[in-house]
Amino acid sequence: MAKIIQIRDVGKVFGNRKDQVVALNQVNLNIDEGEFTVIIGPSGCGKSTLLYLLAGFESPSEGKILLDGQPIDKPGPDRGFVFQDYALFPWKTVLGNVMFGLCNNGWDKKEAREKALEFIQLVNLSGFERAYPHTLSGGMKQRVGIARALAYNPKVLLMDEPFGALDAQTRKYMQQELVRVWEKTKKTVVFITHSVIEAVYLADKVVVMTARPGTVKGCVEVDLPRPRDYTGQNYLAVRQKVLGLLEEEVEKEIQLESQLAL
Amino acid sequence: MNSEQQGLGEVSAQAEWPRKLVQAIEFVLPFLAVGLMWEIAARSGIDGLETLPPPSIILQKFWVLTFENGILLRHLFQSLYRLTAGYLLAVGLGIATGTLLATRETAREMFSPLLSLLISVPTIAWVPPLLITMGLGDKTVITAVFLGGFFAITYNTIRGIEMVNRDQINAAKLMGVSGFKLFASVLLPASLVAVITGLRLGIGYSWRALVGGEMLSALIEWGIGKMIYQARFWNDVTTMFVGLMVIGLSGFALDRVLLKKLEKITVEKWGMLARR
Repeated sequence: MAKIIQIRDVGKVFGNRKDQVVALNQVNLNIDEGEFTVIIGPSGCGKSTLLYLLAGFESPSEGKILLDGQPIDKPGPDRGFVFQDYALFPWKTVLGNVMFGLCNNGWDKKEAREKALEFIQLVNLSGFERAYPHTLSGGMKQRVGIARALAYNPKVLLMDEPFGALDAQTRKYMQQELVRVWEKTKKTVVFITHSVIEAVYLADKVVVMTARPGTVKGCVEVDLPRPRDYTGQNYLAVRQKVLGLLEEEVEKEIQLESQLAL
Repeated sequence: MNSEQQGLGEVSAQAEWPRKLVQAIEFVLPFLAVGLMWEIAARSGIDGLETLPPPSIILQKFWVLTFENGILLRHLFQSLYRLTAGYLLAVGLGIATGTLLATRETAREMFSPLLSLLISVPTIAWVPPLLITMGLGDKTVITAVFLGGFFAITYNTIRGIEMVNRDQINAAKLMGVSGFKLFASVLLPASLVAVITGLRLGIGYSWRALVGGEMLSALIEWGIGKMIYQARFWNDVTTMFVGLMVIGLSGFALDRVLLKKLEKITVEKWGMLARR
């Protein structure tokens, strides 16, 4: 399979000269086309930063990121992004939100509308086209977020802890929904989470990151058929493997934080 | 969402009438109470209050000036013309300046001390120098009205845009939106709560500047401010109070009818105001 995303020696430093925080250091990662990649790591490891670099919201301090062979230097409609806090436009209806990316990328109104309705249906929100986001539940908001990000047909879908704000039941349901939508659209997905359960349920490949400064600690291929069973033997075995890699790093992060506190 | 809205509809259909009536009474009562006390005080013959006209006389005068000789309307229309001209200028330039300063860090750092300095100058203090530089007529008053509204609108626009969720801007940029389109389709609606606050404060300041400016500008003959000022020459306290009343009512109407309505059909509908 073709490598659609290549992350090469990427580092990211925040702050000014006096007060520097190294968020990422020497990150190397390749992502295949059509692959569902989940990046997991202890809090503060820079996994969201890495996703913001992929989106072009931030630029790397070192190294480079290639999308389809081209370096990423600014945000663009070849990527879709699903935000942790939804970041929907409250002044637009569900339909207006999903049409936004289409209307701003050369689609005419009528076609954009049809396309948007198609994606609203895909995420099971038919009947809510004219609703404003503030009237929707968290799970429904995030489904709008997913439809908005997919409608204009980006090459890759970037998801930043998209289900982090949802309750456990809704979260599980959204994971199942996402797998269904992904199997239909066959998008390349890069998904950030801090939940091992979520990572192993969704991913083709789980990338475990180290504590600050974040770098890739290891990858775990998840070669299990979908839909997966959260309690199956094979599922639990992979989960154990990811947990093993992660636990060391979580401990490091806790030590790091207590040192900073002193 | 649908069921919630329908639910509210059913309840309000029954409770609508008494609720509205209570609201109307709550609205009118303070006016009646103050008016009545005033009436009694003015008619009591207490020393020092003999020049104070009772509300009944003021209302009578209001009727005469409005419907019998129409002088009040001519004053009011002249004032509204100046207000509209100066205020619209303040809205346009205030939102533009605010947006530029909020989105360009260097410009903001350079100009924000100047803005803080200017915002603390009472608008009426601008009028004497304006009278000399811009003449004794409309131009001076309209400029004062503009200055009155401009700073409040600029300042609130800056605050509003600074507080826009970064990820909403990121989302729009990712979908290929930038420049003026980003302003019109994301920055402005996203900051509208603060911008409307600026518009509401601004129209209050503009009104004050208007009335003060009219009083001080010698070549101005018509205008509510002028009406009050001229009444001084005839010791016509009643007309002065009519003027005060009209200023209060107009300001109230502009805020409630125009800007409150704007708020209702935008940020309130979009759920961007904190729920009470």
